[in-house]
Amino acid sequence: MKQHLGRQSGVQNVEVSLVDGKVDVIPKEDVQINPAQLLKATYDSGVSVAEMDVTARGKIMADSGGSLEIQVAPNQSFAIAANELSKGLESLAGSQTVVTVRGQLYKKPVGKKKAETLTPLKLIILEVQKKE
Amino acid sequence: MKLKQLALLLLAGCVFVPPLQAQLKNIEMRVEGMT
Repeated sequence: MKQHLGRQSGVQNVEVSLVDGKVDVIPKEDVQINPAQLLKATYDSGVSVAEMDVTARGKIMADSGGSLEIQVAPNQSFAIAANELSKGLESLAGSQTVVTVRGQLYKKPVGKKKAETLTPLKLIILEVQKKE
Repeated sequence: MKLKQLALLLLAGCVFVPPLQAQLKNIEMRVEGMT
């Protein structure tokens, strides 16, 4: 799996812990990485992803419906699921403030053997680390 | 003259300071079925 993930575009390093089933992916700087592609690559390597957490840095934007998203690259953004922490970011929508957040991008649905990796990923913010 | 040098210095600083980069900094997965 480590080799499989390491071959994905934008991946600099992969650390696998067999003891607790944790996989750390360090993205390359200045290169876009696609989490959905990583999920697929992990499934393709024969293991099932229970959870995916990311640390993302980007600008907060609001779409036409008023939903928040974090833009991590000019052509890459993730929808933010509404929760208490996301409410604190509403005032930053459209501003030049760059925020660093840690959140859950994917969680395997209960009772499903294989998750649908094609559904759009939504970021549930767990921690707002920095506002710059 | 000094004012001009100071202005040039400030301009150079703006050019060479890298902008805050937006990006995914880390991805952590918990997997099942790994041997």
